[in-house]
Amino acid sequence: MSEAASAWLIISIYVLIGISIAAMARKRMGAGMNEFFLANRQLGGIVSALTYAATTYSAFMMVGLAGLTYKLGMGALGFEFTYLCGLVLVVFFGPRFWLVGHKYDYLTHAQLLADRYQNRAVGIVATLLCLVFLIPYAAIQLMGIGYLLAVVSKGAISLVTAMVIATVLAIIWSYMAGLRSVAWTDALQMVIMMVTSVLTLFFVVYKGFGGFNSFFDRMNQDIPNLLAGSGLFKFNVFFGLAVPWMFFSLSNPQVTQRLFVPKSVSAFKQMIGGFLIFGFIYTVVSVLWGFSARLLIPDLASADLATPSLLALALIPKLIAVIVMVGILSAAISTIDSILLTLSSMCSRDLIKNGFRTGISEETELHIGKCVIPVLAVIFFVFAYWAAGKTGLAFMIAPLSSAASAGLLMAVPAIIGAFFWRRATAAGALTSMIGGAVLVLYLQLSGAKPLGMWPGIWGFIACLILYIGISLITRAPVQKAEEFIGYLEKDLPLYRFL
Amino acid sequence: MKKQLWAWITWFLFLFVLDFTVPFFVLDDIPRLRGSFLFWIVWMIIAVISMFIMFMGWKNNSVRKGGAAS
Repeated sequence: MSEAASAWLIISIYVLIGISIAAMARKRMGAGMNEFFLANRQLGGIVSALTYAATTYSAFMMVGLAGLTYKLGMGALGFEFTYLCGLVLVVFFGPRFWLVGHKYDYLTHAQLLADRYQNRAVGIVATLLCLVFLIPYAAIQLMGIGYLLAVVSKGAISLVTAMVIATVLAIIWSYMAGLRSVAWTDALQMVIMMVTSVLTLFFVVYKGFGGFNSFFDRMNQDIPNLLAGSGLFKFNVFFGLAVPWMFFSLSNPQVTQRLFVPKSVSAFKQMIGGFLIFGFIYTVVSVLWGFSARLLIPDLASADLATPSLLALALIPKLIAVIVMVGILSAAISTIDSILLTLSSMCSRDLIKNGFRTGISEETELHIGKCVIPVLAVIFFVFAYWAAGKTGLAFMIAPLSSAASAGLLMAVPAIIGAFFWRRATAAGALTSMIGGAVLVLYLQLSGAKPLGMWPGIWGFIACLILYIGISLITRAPVQKAEEFIGYLEKDLPLYRFL
Repeated sequence: MKKQLWAWITWFLFLFVLDFTVPFFVLDDIPRLRGSFLFWIVWMIIAVISMFIMFMGWKNNSVRKGGAAS
């Protein structure tokens, strides 16, 4: 069977299984916004861990991180581990999100901010921030899929066809049963991704190098420049990429929304613990994958082609290559549909219902949310199509991902302050988000890096100064701050949360 | 509880300082896997164990029965 035929066959099986799972999820779906967008806050621990992992780890890891390792070396491991260590933010803030989510019935972090700061504009700005900066991030998933399918199928599936398949599937699975179908399909997809990526690494290492000892020897001998210190990463590049990434778990709405959904404390613990273990293994596998590509195929035109080119090598059995390809495809789709769901919930709840106070019913709100899904998907597709033709570090998958996180980072001071600082004000939150985001956008579009530091770093400094400074000279919503933080101070110890 | 919280914050700030300095300024002349690769693997394992210690003590609330967050 040709590469194209086997690729289409496995993709068809994958689509059928995915739709069956989504259909099963639909049978258990109730009515309302909470049910559609939060699975009624009733996800078990294992499914929560798997969906958290699949949403976070996607085309970025096996394509983007492997590509970054291929190009710049060991710093890619530190960069991604910095993110994983940043999960300590979930250990600190996750329980706080979870408690206030239940108490005040929050659907999104923008809603949380608008309520805590007693200002609907805060929710609107937080939503717009997510809309602007998540478009490149979602588009990256499509680019990853496009590169992968085009190379592994030896051009039989074009980059554009692959991106269309992913866009359509993401729309369908988001529509079928909201978060429940997304979470269930994520769970299956994450298992496939882990198993196939580890298996393939073993294939590459044993068939390509004769075992791990020889593989490590080859790395020490052939690419010492990529192993010394952080490899070819300069400090400012590493710092500029890693700092926004470190705050990913607080800044990205598709992951903060998952902090509302575990059904119990035990489920929450399983979600964090499971994700940490998955994350550690998956990061090491992706980085070793990048190094093995560098040794086996050192002259690639684009580093983001490292994984697809590795899968296309003769030493990887065709069937395994296609299954891994579908594993990465599915994980990328799971990230896109999660982003679609979250952004559509923010549009309907924070922009329309709460933002413009339209007084719409929950049914209408849900209908609007569902209508937004395909519109956003088309925008993602157009951006991906445009960026896929570009070259250079700024258009590689990993830097584009980090650039998106740099913009989203501008909501982090307002989020942290909401939980800890009674003196924080809506004016401080608004100016910090707007001022920081404008600065990040300006620096990203102009390509300027004052003192060699990346946009996210300058944006974050400006954002912090504005948040603290403006809050100190404006009036805080004292009553709400006392109620909100007081509730947490009273209830956190009941669960032995820190 | 607050002392414990600050102790953990301090610990993780220390870990992040190591993350951003050791590979760049201490291990930059070791072009082998026993350099930064080994450092980041051990560093991450310590961070993961620390996080497990932090959340393993969480309990389902037996006081607030029947509430949404119980």
